[in-house]
Amino acid sequence: MTELVKTLCMLDGVSGFEDRVRDFIREQAEPFADSVREDAMGSLIVFKRGARRTGDRLLLAAHMDEVGLIVTEVTDEGYLRFRFVGGVDRRVAIGKPVLVGPEHIPGVIGMKAVHLVKAAERSSVPRVDELYIDIGAPSGEAARARVPLGSYAVFSGGCVEFGSGLLKAKALDDRIGCAVLLTLLKEPLPLDCTFAFTVQEEVGTRGAFGAAFSVTPQVALVLEGTTAADCATVPAHKRVCAPGKGPVIPFMDGGTVYDRGLYETLTGLCRTHGIPWQTKEYVSGGTDARTIQRTKAGVRAAGISAAVRYLHSPSSVADVGDLEPMLRLTRLFLNAMAGELEEDGYGAV
Amino acid sequence: MDLFETLKRLSELPAPSGSEEAAARAACALMAPLVDRVSIDRLGNAVGERDCGKPGAPRLLLDAHLDEIGFVVTGVEEGYLRFQTIGGVDARVLPGREMTLLTDPPLFGVVAALPPHLQTAEEMEKTIPLDQLRIDIGMDQERAAAAVPVGTRAVYRAECFRLGEDQVCGKALDDRACVTALLRTLELLKDVELDVDLTVLCSTFEETGGAGAATGAFAARPDLCVAVDVTHGRTPDGPKSGTFPLGSGPAVGVGPNMTRWVSRKLEETARREGIPVSLEVMPGDSGTNAWVLQISREGVATGLLSLPLKYMHTPVEVVQLSDLEGLARLLAAFIADLGKGGAL
Amino acid sequence: MELFETLKLLTEAHGVSGREAGVRAVLLERVRGLCDEHTVDVMGDLICHRKGPGPRVMLSAPMDTAGVVISHIQPDGYLRFAAVGGLAARQLAGRTVRLANGMTGLIAVTPDKAGEDFTVSNLYLDVGAGGRGEAEHLVALGDTAAFHVPAEERWGRVLASGLSSRAPCAALLTAMEELSDSPNDLYFVFTAQSRTGLRGVKTAAYAVDPDYAVVVDATAADDVPEADHRGSCVLGAGAAVKVMDGAVICHPRAIALLDGLAARRGIPAQREVYKAGRSDAGAVYTTRVGVLTGGVSVPVRHLNNPAELVQLSDLRACADLIKAFAESELENV
Repeated sequence: MTELVKTLCMLDGVSGFEDRVRDFIREQAEPFADSVREDAMGSLIVFKRGARRTGDRLLLAAHMDEVGLIVTEVTDEGYLRFRFVGGVDRRVAIGKPVLVGPEHIPGVIGMKAVHLVKAAERSSVPRVDELYIDIGAPSGEAARARVPLGSYAVFSGGCVEFGSGLLKAKALDDRIGCAVLLTLLKEPLPLDCTFAFTVQEEVGTRGAFGAAFSVTPQVALVLEGTTAADCATVPAHKRVCAPGKGPVIPFMDGGTVYDRGLYETLTGLCRTHGIPWQTKEYVSGGTDARTIQRTKAGVRAAGISAAVRYLHSPSSVADVGDLEPMLRLTRLFLNAMAGELEEDGYGAV
Repeated sequence: MDLFETLKRLSELPAPSGSEEAAARAACALMAPLVDRVSIDRLGNAVGERDCGKPGAPRLLLDAHLDEIGFVVTGVEEGYLRFQTIGGVDARVLPGREMTLLTDPPLFGVVAALPPHLQTAEEMEKTIPLDQLRIDIGMDQERAAAAVPVGTRAVYRAECFRLGEDQVCGKALDDRACVTALLRTLELLKDVELDVDLTVLCSTFEETGGAGAATGAFAARPDLCVAVDVTHGRTPDGPKSGTFPLGSGPAVGVGPNMTRWVSRKLEETARREGIPVSLEVMPGDSGTNAWVLQISREGVATGLLSLPLKYMHTPVEVVQLSDLEGLARLLAAFIADLGKGGAL
Repeated sequence: MELFETLKLLTEAHGVSGREAGVRAVLLERVRGLCDEHTVDVMGDLICHRKGPGPRVMLSAPMDTAGVVISHIQPDGYLRFAAVGGLAARQLAGRTVRLANGMTGLIAVTPDKAGEDFTVSNLYLDVGAGGRGEAEHLVALGDTAAFHVPAEERWGRVLASGLSSRAPCAALLTAMEELSDSPNDLYFVFTAQSRTGLRGVKTAAYAVDPDYAVVVDATAADDVPEADHRGSCVLGAGAAVKVMDGAVICHPRAIALLDGLAARRGIPAQREVYKAGRSDAGAVYTTRVGVLTGGVSVPVRHLNNPAELVQLSDLRACADLIKAFAESELENV
């Protein structure tokens, strides 16, 4: 699965521009799926029959999009003004290389040299409207010809495996979730499953609204990448979770109080089957679960996340060793749901 | 249709969010000759529908909002009215401002302001916070308390007038100018055969979060939405980035809130028709009804057209009629071309 | 049951947003026999249906209170937590809170931050545990705790913790108990997770799909020393008919209906404009094609403080007005 995660991370998928990720997943999923559709928002909804005919009752969700940049203006000198799409800390963006648009035009987020910065400015972070992407264009005209307004840009840089089993890549949030779902999709399933690969999670869990509304499941499991802050400078109670300690099963985050029964099902499965696990020991962030849970008359929502360091930066870091347990736990969860959810004889094909 | 007269008629009506009835009735009256049906729904939206008569035709929803920012009375103190705001009011423009209180009959009021003689130079450098402002209706405590119950709404008292050659100044041009543009669009399409069913949603509650658009879209079940709202016109004191000179035409919204093919088709239509447009790139929430329309039900393909407007949320908002006409022509051409061959 | 007894029962129950089982159980016990059927939905809302031939009317009150949720247990037995429902660090520091199991602990500020600006992550909860083992014996991550000042009545006013949700619940429950015949199809809903952003009511309103709704909640009483007058209500002036809060502007017809009922039945009433608060009504009126939504609020002093204060005559007026609405002939919409 590590290779699949790497492949997925290298694809562009800034919120609203998930085409590359969607195309890849569609191509991989189609031979194994009973139905595949793209909804009006761009989410990919895949249905696959399992041993028990539970129809639409179980939804598995992961988001395809990643944080990035969008070009808002081209200056007369040929520089690109931009805004961040999703939550990016400006401090991790300054001076980073980016790739602009589907043609991957190389660029760099420029800033004046430290020598030219007044002493008082050094301790403050430039505002986003002071930043720009430099693509080496000789003029505004030349830049405009290559980069239409509204083009996206992604952080560049490849995947690196380093240290004791760690993987650095962009977009681990949430290509790890996509990889888990895609792997499951290729296996025989114990019950009917609808897989939602959602769009625009990073700009307000936007794709999840339509996906959950159209599927209307009874139970939803959201596969995510979540903030690990296990750094030496952070006190223990603010470390949230840590790569290498197994899947994260949250009881609560900033957007959702997860279904208590499902939380106990998941943690119980870990205990019974000897899977290492952790919970989120700091309440922050949010996932598609917040939207899915409150769809229509309500959906029981659970989450399994991979602990990812430096989330929303060009270099996020996960532990490869967490991937298998995450997949294993998800499989066990499907088995548990197969024993719990009713059959209905007809489904969502 | 006389654009100025229609805009004047609509914008001078009082319709703060949640009390849009007067504007909704006027919008229905103006839409009635141009559509098959008009109605006012539960949340006060004025809804016009035009059927194309083709079975299974996709439905396009056009949205512009009726409501304006306003005020609500929270108490009476020595005859002066305490108040809170409805929507994003700029407290800087309030002192000395004339108001219309929406009692029956309406009352005149003015926001109390101390003369400069009684204030220090330092005090005059500061914006007076809202909770220190009062509306004077010229009554003593007893009469005021009887005439103006808690909960009474108020709006700016302002006339709509021409400014220069082609510009118009008034209150609530955000977003009645766009309601006017939708009426003009319907007029342009009057004798044009369409392949889509139309819902024109003159929506309520936009300034307080978009409840009218959310419920209106849920009821209409559109396949495609275009929200029409205002964006910032360029002024000498404002930024160059993200503002649009009056006269430069409508702005086509681009970004995650807008479906890419819709943005592209709007831009291409403008080019084909020779209508000047700008692109307005937004990284997330567009701050318009497009934000709630896009996530209605199963999700809806969504576009956004914006009309440049100066001095937003003041009683002296300014728009240019040529931009309004350009927006209507663009939208009409876009709609006439939609659904050819059955699909969007 | 007497209003004070109901308040006492409800304020004794535990029910922080997301963990409302305690208070829900108390309510369940009381609503049995008062409705044709009741369900608990996915979010934890208690939905009670009393069938009738007329328009569908949803009457709701939030049952959850603000509090804290335990997020980390230290090796030395101290507990770290997050605030739930909008409590600020300074409101928590130096206070005692009670967990669902009845155990009390003290919230303290880490000494390095005492006296400066501190956040919730500079606070810890001491329950007296000597180590992680002892703490884990009685506390699990995800457990919640809330202020707990037992209810006291004096001069017709009640001081207790959690009144900002439990007083509305008491008013709704009382209306339900005293209701005579109603032509309407009535749903009484006690909502969960209101204080974390109107979450529970959203799914309940979608499921009920009402024509009319009246949301019962608390409003800040503006009659405290040096009041900033951001609200419009005072203690003792009766039921507050909601015009507007930070999440909703009520339907003009709902306001007129409630005003009219209060006037005709001689129920003391005042008008509520309170932008600093966000009631469940904000999620109700936007449901599906829109709901004709009004609100009845109980004036409460000291909102979100360790103890809050209500006047029983106001609570009585709220119960009477809710009952009057439930019983009234409503037009189809």
